[in-house]
Amino acid sequence: MASLRFRLNPQTQRRLNRFRGIRRGYLSFLVLAALALLSVFGEVLVNSRALVVRYQGRYYFPTYGAFHPGSDFGEGYSYETNYRHLGQRLAKEGSGDWVLMPPVPFNAYENDFRPGVYPPTAPSAAERHYLGTDTTGRDILARLFYGFRIALIFAAFYIGFVYGLGIAVGCAMGFFGGKVDLLGQRLVEIWSNLPFLYIVIIVASLVRPDLTLLVIITGLFSWTGMTYYMRTATYREKARDYVAAAEVLGASTSRIIFRHILPNTLSMLVTFVPFTLAAAISSLTALDFLGFGLPVPTPSWGALLHQGTANLDAPWIVSSVFVSIVLVLSLVTFVGEAIREAFDPKRFTTYE
Amino acid sequence: MNLSAPRTLALLAALAFSGCAKKEVEAVIDNTQEVQAYYKAHPDFFKFATRADLPKDLAWQDGHDVPEFAAPEAKRGGTLHAYVDDFPRTLRFVGPDTNGTFRPYILDDNALTLIQRQPNTGQYYPALASSWAVSKDGRTIYFRLDPEARYSDGSPIHARDFLIGVYLRISDHIVNPYSKQYFRESIAQVAMYDDHTLSVSLPEAKIYAPMIAGSLTPSPPGFYAAYGSDYSERYQWKFPPTTGAYEVLQGDIVKGASITQTRVKNWWARDRKFYRYRFNPDKIVSTVVRDESKAFELFRAGELDTFYLNRPELWYEKSEIDPVYKGYIERVQVYTRYPKVPRGLYLNVIKPPLNDRNVRIGIQHSLNWQKVIDVLFRGDYRRLDAFNEGYVNFSDPSLKARPYSINLARDAFHTAGYTAEGRDGILTKPDGSRLSVAVTYSSTLPLFDRMFAILREEAKACGFDLRLDGLEDTVAYKKEMQKQHEMMFESWLITPPVPDFHEFLHSSNAHDEKGNVKTQTNNLFGWARPDTDLLCDQVRTGRTAEEIRDATSQLQHIMHDEAIFAPSYAVDFMRIGSWRWVRWPDCTTTRYCPPVVYDPHEVYVFWIDERVRAETRDARRTGKGFPESTKVINPDQPNTESAAPANP
Repeated sequence: MASLRFRLNPQTQRRLNRFRGIRRGYLSFLVLAALALLSVFGEVLVNSRALVVRYQGRYYFPTYGAFHPGSDFGEGYSYETNYRHLGQRLAKEGSGDWVLMPPVPFNAYENDFRPGVYPPTAPSAAERHYLGTDTTGRDILARLFYGFRIALIFAAFYIGFVYGLGIAVGCAMGFFGGKVDLLGQRLVEIWSNLPFLYIVIIVASLVRPDLTLLVIITGLFSWTGMTYYMRTATYREKARDYVAAAEVLGASTSRIIFRHILPNTLSMLVTFVPFTLAAAISSLTALDFLGFGLPVPTPSWGALLHQGTANLDAPWIVSSVFVSIVLVLSLVTFVGEAIREAFDPKRFTTYE
Repeated sequence: MNLSAPRTLALLAALAFSGCAKKEVEAVIDNTQEVQAYYKAHPDFFKFATRADLPKDLAWQDGHDVPEFAAPEAKRGGTLHAYVDDFPRTLRFVGPDTNGTFRPYILDDNALTLIQRQPNTGQYYPALASSWAVSKDGRTIYFRLDPEARYSDGSPIHARDFLIGVYLRISDHIVNPYSKQYFRESIAQVAMYDDHTLSVSLPEAKIYAPMIAGSLTPSPPGFYAAYGSDYSERYQWKFPPTTGAYEVLQGDIVKGASITQTRVKNWWARDRKFYRYRFNPDKIVSTVVRDESKAFELFRAGELDTFYLNRPELWYEKSEIDPVYKGYIERVQVYTRYPKVPRGLYLNVIKPPLNDRNVRIGIQHSLNWQKVIDVLFRGDYRRLDAFNEGYVNFSDPSLKARPYSINLARDAFHTAGYTAEGRDGILTKPDGSRLSVAVTYSSTLPLFDRMFAILREEAKACGFDLRLDGLEDTVAYKKEMQKQHEMMFESWLITPPVPDFHEFLHSSNAHDEKGNVKTQTNNLFGWARPDTDLLCDQVRTGRTAEEIRDATSQLQHIMHDEAIFAPSYAVDFMRIGSWRWVRWPDCTTTRYCPPVVYDPHEVYVFWIDERVRAETRDARRTGKGFPESTKVINPDQPNTESAAPANP
């Protein structure tokens, strides 16, 4: 994105400093950033593959590498090693070999069935299912965790898509004005009146969407809101003296847009980002909840929520996903409020 | 079952168009001329003969020695409260949308045919025809109508009404070519001899010819006088006069909400043998409840009278409720001898790598259905062993489905050339192609998502990547009908007494003359081979039971050897909960229901005891209980009576 090349102007710098001063928002931001960072290295924390295996004097690091068939470790099968069983076996043998599992030793897909116990099973630290299992015997914590990661990836692409399109169209309308503006506005009006949910449902029922398609579908119906803000912001900035000065100096259109107007609207855009993030997560969750989202068995909060509401007798499903959603959305909202406060122009404006 | 028509899209369309429907004054049409002209144009199909044309040496039968199967203690009266998951799209019996879930209520299980089959013994008993005879060559069946037979509007039934009934199905106004073609192919001629005598000829003699010929229903010409090109709108919500026990009165159709069937006043067959103790409730109210768990809550509250409790969580956890403990709701697990729904994966052999038999065999071994049964169905269901299993005389019980086996699966994949292994443990060919096949299924039931999540994980251990392609019901159906699937999880409602292989295996349903894939047929395997074609025809036209048995057994073995159908699970019983005022037969001939039924309700042998309803209502108010009642009824093992206390 071109905006990465922008140098922050001192005013923006001051705003960021002010944001740091708002405790609740800044803390939320740190927690959220930490969660996002954790999820990047999710395979180390929540995984059925061992972190380290010491077997016959050699060390193996299966987490990111190729898979090891069970026969590599003296197990009698050729499919992927079950490291939890391997660990128990090696511990029993007492030959000095060992397995170090991640804190949550399950991936988001495997079904952990035990004889005589029918999933969903309640949370149990002994079984290391800290939030229990879902109706198919999958670890809920693992599914929540990877579901969060997927939601973040979705949100990142979604924000990129929505802002890219919204800023481009909005800025063009504001900058060029006249017929472009008139026509663009009408198109945006028509487009934004298309019933989003119906269209998503129809499209999702024709093809099973993957992440890319879902970003495109949801993004296509969400960019219009941004154009209004960008249009007015561009109009306002364009009328300012510094733009006129740049024009007089002979700056090209693209230079004016990218070097002068866009950096000055950045502060407004930044205040929207957290709320768009919240919207992205909740719309993905909603679509998954309705069954029009990511294909099964992708871990997703919406699907988990759906399962939880259908199985209220297993309260750990619905409560863990509910708490997660509330938590993440609250954090995002706190960050958003703090940014909004920090960027509030009222602090620098006096009304007469 | 995937037989039902579009859901979401239809709903959306209905929403979109409901506002713009205009009420137009219906033009009066009289199609008598048109119908006569059609008869004239097809003289081979519709024949008008005289009594003199009847063969003299016919041996008429009237089924007088066939035992009844309903309980004499049945009481008339009361109302049954049932639910349907969607409002019927039409009350027509021909044309678009007529294959919905409500159809049996008003037509298949209600309207009388010429003769019917006793569900216990398989003998024929009279319905609209009081007697019948089979011609020497076995192709033609003659019927004498019961002179007392009446429609619900009181008008008598006439032999020509059966010709009208056939005309309605095959006329040029019918758009669906398949149903038209099916009717034209399964019947060679309908002839009437006088007002109460007719005959139906089949293209060739068949072992169950009387059943096929006797399944015709009459249509009153007066009611269908306006049948024309606009019939599908014109008759959309008109309930035709019926010969059956229940009619739908105009005021009882509350669109989108409920539909009420009322017992025909002075129904002509009310005192006839085989009917006198059946069709007992005065009214059957079917309310639309779109969500099963909501329907269960209504059942629990006593708003619905019966409920299917087949799924383990309904039978176990959800049944742990007061009305069950206190004996208000009685539960029965009744074993049936109905053929097993061919539920499983249909492998499309046109799509590589499924064209390789070894891959197909490997896939069979890599599907851990037993785990699905043990975990999702608590071991209550069992493995289905073969396609078209469970036909009492026409299935080979020695066939066993291939078990889940990592070694056998890997051996088969290895033979097919999948010798290497990718980073993720999925087998690959030396040229790098991965062993990955998609399974398409309807994800409308969340259960299937769970089921395939298990199968996918288990298949991974065999080096097989089972991709899940769960689609909305209609979309999945469309995909399979376009033959776009690789593997399809599907089940078809099949009917006794003879299995059909033609629609699933015959080459005419796989491709056209030019070799193009033929869409919109049930041959989901893309299977075409001359020897199976012959055998399929043999099943259809077999004149003796041995001939049919021989062909079905060979076909089942071919399907097993070629591994084109991956059998999933089968259920041998129905579990039903009913409030104690719904009474079911418990007599020597019938315990609960006849064994060869798909759904115990379909033969209408239950009755509603309003006195017991009042008694139960009082008991609920005072908290008084009755002995808990959970019974297991197995007609094959007469003495495996329940574990729980007997009837109160």
